[in-house]
Amino acid sequence: MKTHFLFPNKYKKIGWILFIPALIIVKLSIAFNINLDDYLKSNVFALYQQGILDKPSFFVVVKNNVADELLTICLIIGGILVCFSKLKNEDEYISKIRYESLVWATYLNYGIIIFFTIFLYGMPYLNVLFYNMFTLIVFFMIRFHYLIYKLNKSTSDDE
Amino acid sequence: MTNNLKVLRAIKNISQEELAKQIEVSRQTINAMEKGKYVPSTVLALKLARYFEKPVEEIFSLETTD
Repeated sequence: MKTHFLFPNKYKKIGWILFIPALIIVKLSIAFNINLDDYLKSNVFALYQQGILDKPSFFVVVKNNVADELLTICLIIGGILVCFSKLKNEDEYISKIRYESLVWATYLNYGIIIFFTIFLYGMPYLNVLFYNMFTLIVFFMIRFHYLIYKLNKSTSDDE
Repeated sequence: MTNNLKVLRAIKNISQEELAKQIEVSRQTINAMEKGKYVPSTVLALKLARYFEKPVEEIFSLETTD
Protein backbone atom coordinates (compact mmCIF):
# COMPACT_ATOMS: atom_id res chain seq x y z
CA MET A 1 0.00 0.00 0.00
CA LYS A 2 1.19 3.50 -0.78
CA THR A 3 1.63 5.63 2.30
CA HIS A 4 2.36 9.31 2.23
CA PHE A 5 4.59 11.15 4.68
CA LEU A 6 5.77 8.05 6.55
CA PHE A 7 9.39 7.00 7.01
CA PRO A 8 10.62 3.50 6.17
CA ASN A 9 10.45 0.96 8.99
CA LYS A 10 14.20 1.01 9.76
CA TYR A 11 13.99 4.63 10.94
CA LYS A 12 11.88 3.56 13.90
CA LYS A 13 14.93 2.04 15.57
CA ILE A 14 16.94 5.23 14.99
CA GLY A 15 14.03 7.13 16.52
CA TRP A 16 14.12 5.03 19.71
CA ILE A 17 17.92 5.44 19.91
CA LEU A 18 17.54 9.25 19.83
CA PHE A 19 14.40 9.47 21.94
CA ILE A 20 14.98 7.13 24.88
CA PRO A 21 18.45 8.36 25.98
CA ALA A 22 17.36 11.99 25.61
CA LEU A 23 14.25 11.29 27.68
CA ILE A 24 16.30 9.54 30.39
CA ILE A 25 18.78 12.44 30.56
CA VAL A 26 15.95 14.97 30.86
CA LYS A 27 14.20 12.90 33.55
CA LEU A 28 17.44 12.48 35.53
CA SER A 29 18.24 16.17 35.31
CA ILE A 30 14.81 16.96 36.74
CA ALA A 31 15.14 14.31 39.46
CA PHE A 32 18.59 15.54 40.57
CA ASN A 33 17.78 19.19 40.02
CA ILE A 34 20.51 19.73 37.43
CA ASN A 35 20.10 22.70 35.14
CA LEU A 36 20.72 21.42 31.62
CA ASP A 37 21.27 24.99 30.49
CA ASP A 38 24.69 24.97 32.22
CA TYR A 39 26.47 22.57 29.87
CA LEU A 40 28.29 22.57 26.54
CA LYS A 41 28.96 26.28 26.19
CA SER A 42 29.56 27.25 22.59
CA ASN A 43 29.07 29.99 20.05
CA VAL A 44 25.74 29.88 18.28
CA PHE A 45 24.19 31.98 15.59
CA ALA A 46 21.01 33.76 16.65
CA LEU A 47 18.44 35.24 14.30
CA TYR A 48 17.16 37.19 17.25
CA GLN A 49 18.16 37.31 20.85
CA GLN A 50 17.37 39.35 23.91
CA GLY A 51 18.44 38.76 27.47
CA ILE A 52 16.63 40.12 30.49
CA LEU A 53 17.12 43.92 30.53
CA ASP A 54 19.08 43.71 27.24
CA LYS A 55 18.35 45.46 24.02
CA PRO A 56 17.23 43.02 21.34
CA SER A 57 19.80 42.15 18.68
CA PHE A 58 19.45 40.47 15.32
CA PHE A 59 21.73 38.14 13.33
CA VAL A 60 24.42 37.89 15.97
CA VAL A 61 26.72 35.17 17.28
CA VAL A 62 26.15 34.62 20.98
CA LYS A 63 27.48 32.30 23.66
CA ASN A 64 24.98 29.71 24.80
CA ASN A 65 24.97 26.36 26.55
CA VAL A 66 23.63 24.02 23.94
CA ALA A 67 22.90 20.89 26.04
CA ASP A 68 19.22 21.70 26.27
CA GLU A 69 18.97 22.57 22.57
CA LEU A 70 20.58 19.25 21.60
CA LEU A 71 18.25 17.30 23.88
CA THR A 72 15.20 19.12 22.52
CA ILE A 73 16.21 18.28 18.96
CA CYS A 74 16.90 14.63 19.90
CA LEU A 75 13.51 14.33 21.58
CA ILE A 76 11.61 15.86 18.67
CA ILE A 77 13.41 14.12 15.82
CA GLY A 78 13.53 10.82 17.72
CA GLY A 79 9.86 11.15 18.63
CA ILE A 80 8.82 11.94 15.06
CA LEU A 81 10.76 8.95 13.72
CA VAL A 82 9.24 6.61 16.31
CA CYS A 83 5.73 7.90 15.62
CA PHE A 84 5.85 8.16 11.86
CA SER A 85 8.01 5.29 10.67
CA LYS A 86 6.01 2.54 9.04
CA LEU A 87 5.37 -0.61 11.01
CA LYS A 88 6.70 -3.80 9.45
CA ASN A 89 3.18 -4.72 8.42
CA GLU A 90 1.84 -1.24 7.72
CA ASP A 91 -1.37 -1.57 5.71
CA GLU A 92 -4.65 0.30 5.36
CA TYR A 93 -6.09 -0.86 8.70
CA ILE A 94 -2.92 0.15 10.56
CA SER A 95 -3.07 3.52 8.75
CA LYS A 96 -6.61 3.98 10.02
CA ILE A 97 -5.48 3.27 13.57
CA ARG A 98 -2.58 5.68 13.05
CA TYR A 99 -4.93 8.41 11.90
CA GLU A 100 -7.40 7.89 14.72
CA SER A 101 -4.61 7.88 17.29
CA LEU A 102 -3.32 11.17 15.94
CA VAL A 103 -6.76 12.77 16.19
CA TRP A 104 -7.17 11.38 19.71
CA ALA A 105 -3.73 12.65 20.77
CA THR A 106 -4.42 16.11 19.34
CA TYR A 107 -7.71 16.41 21.25
CA LEU A 108 -6.07 15.26 24.48
CA ASN A 109 -3.13 17.61 24.00
CA TYR A 110 -5.24 20.70 23.40
CA GLY A 111 -7.79 19.64 26.01
CA ILE A 112 -4.99 19.67 28.57
CA ILE A 113 -3.77 23.07 27.36
CA ILE A 114 -7.25 24.55 27.67
CA PHE A 115 -7.58 23.07 31.15
CA PHE A 116 -4.29 24.60 32.30
CA THR A 117 -4.98 27.89 30.54
CA ILE A 118 -8.04 28.23 32.72
CA PHE A 119 -6.58 26.94 35.98
CA LEU A 120 -2.84 27.76 35.99
CA TYR A 121 -1.30 31.20 36.19
CA GLY A 122 2.21 32.64 36.22
CA MET A 123 5.39 30.57 35.99
CA PRO A 124 3.75 27.13 36.19
CA TYR A 125 1.87 27.96 33.01
CA LEU A 126 5.17 28.53 31.17
CA ASN A 127 6.10 24.99 32.19
CA VAL A 128 2.93 23.73 30.56
CA LEU A 129 3.88 25.45 27.32
CA PHE A 130 7.39 24.03 27.59
CA TYR A 131 6.18 20.46 28.08
CA ASN A 132 3.70 21.00 25.30
CA MET A 133 6.58 20.96 22.82
CA PHE A 134 6.68 17.19 23.33
CA THR A 135 3.30 16.08 24.60
CA LEU A 136 1.56 15.67 21.25
CA ILE A 137 4.29 13.28 20.10
CA VAL A 138 4.24 11.40 23.39
CA PHE A 139 0.44 11.08 23.55
CA PHE A 140 0.32 9.82 19.99
CA MET A 141 3.18 7.41 20.61
CA ILE A 142 1.47 5.90 23.66
CA ARG A 143 -2.00 5.73 22.10
CA PHE A 144 -0.88 4.25 18.80
CA HIS A 145 1.39 1.62 20.31
CA TYR A 146 -1.23 0.71 22.89
CA LEU A 147 -3.85 0.15 20.16
CA ILE A 148 -1.41 -1.91 18.08
CA TYR A 149 -0.55 -3.95 21.19
CA LYS A 150 -4.24 -4.55 21.88
CA LEU A 151 -4.82 -5.48 18.25
CA ASN A 152 -1.97 -7.98 18.20
CA LYS A 153 -3.21 -9.47 21.44
CA SER A 154 -6.78 -9.89 20.23
CA THR A 155 -5.55 -11.34 16.93
CA SER A 156 -3.35 -13.90 18.62
CA ASP A 157 -6.14 -14.78 21.08
CA ASP A 158 -8.18 -15.90 18.07
CA GLU A 159 -5.54 -18.44 17.11
CA MET B 1 -21.35 -3.85 6.01
CA THR B 2 -21.11 -7.58 6.57
CA ASN B 3 -18.95 -10.15 4.86
CA ASN B 4 -18.56 -13.89 4.68
CA LEU B 5 -14.78 -13.98 4.61
CA LYS B 6 -14.65 -16.48 7.42
CA VAL B 7 -16.84 -18.93 5.51
CA LEU B 8 -14.93 -18.47 2.27
CA ARG B 9 -11.69 -18.94 4.11
CA ALA B 10 -13.00 -22.14 5.68
CA ILE B 11 -14.08 -23.45 2.26
CA LYS B 12 -10.62 -22.74 0.86
CA ASN B 13 -9.18 -24.13 4.08
CA ILE B 14 -6.53 -21.45 4.58
CA SER B 15 -5.50 -19.57 7.71
CA GLN B 16 -5.82 -15.83 8.28
CA GLU B 17 -2.05 -15.68 8.12
CA GLU B 18 -1.96 -17.35 4.72
CA LEU B 19 -4.76 -15.19 3.30
CA ALA B 20 -3.02 -12.07 4.62
CA LYS B 21 0.16 -13.07 2.84
CA GLN B 22 -1.70 -13.79 -0.41
CA ILE B 23 -3.33 -10.36 -0.58
CA GLU B 24 -0.46 -8.46 1.04
CA VAL B 25 -2.05 -7.08 4.17
CA SER B 26 -1.41 -7.73 7.85
CA ARG B 27 -3.11 -10.60 9.60
CA GLN B 28 -4.69 -8.07 11.95
CA THR B 29 -6.57 -6.60 9.01
CA ILE B 30 -8.04 -9.97 7.99
CA ASN B 31 -9.02 -10.56 11.60
CA ALA B 32 -10.63 -7.14 11.96
CA MET B 33 -12.58 -7.59 8.71
CA GLU B 34 -13.90 -10.98 9.76
CA LYS B 35 -15.04 -9.50 13.05
CA GLY B 36 -16.75 -6.67 11.18
CA LYS B 37 -14.55 -4.09 12.88
CA TYR B 38 -12.99 -2.85 9.67
CA VAL B 39 -14.47 -2.01 6.28
CA PRO B 40 -11.76 -2.54 3.65
CA SER B 41 -10.88 -0.13 0.87
CA THR B 42 -12.11 -0.85 -2.64
CA VAL B 43 -8.65 -2.06 -3.62
CA LEU B 44 -8.57 -4.58 -0.81
CA ALA B 45 -12.14 -5.71 -1.50
CA LEU B 46 -11.27 -6.30 -5.15
CA LYS B 47 -8.12 -8.17 -4.20
CA LEU B 48 -10.16 -10.45 -1.97
CA ALA B 49 -12.68 -10.96 -4.76
CA ARG B 50 -9.90 -11.88 -7.16
CA TYR B 51 -8.39 -14.29 -4.67
CA PHE B 52 -11.68 -16.06 -3.94
CA GLU B 53 -12.73 -15.83 -7.61
CA LYS B 54 -16.09 -14.36 -6.70
CA PRO B 55 -17.78 -11.03 -7.42
CA VAL B 56 -17.34 -8.48 -4.63
CA GLU B 57 -21.10 -8.54 -3.90
CA GLU B 58 -20.90 -12.20 -2.99
CA ILE B 59 -18.29 -11.49 -0.36
CA PHE B 60 -19.49 -8.18 1.02
CA SER B 61 -23.05 -7.00 1.48
CA LEU B 62 -24.64 -3.81 2.77
CA GLU B 63 -26.62 -3.74 5.96
CA THR B 64 -29.77 -1.67 6.47
CA THR B 65 -27.79 0.80 8.61
CA ASP B 66 -25.32 1.56 5.78
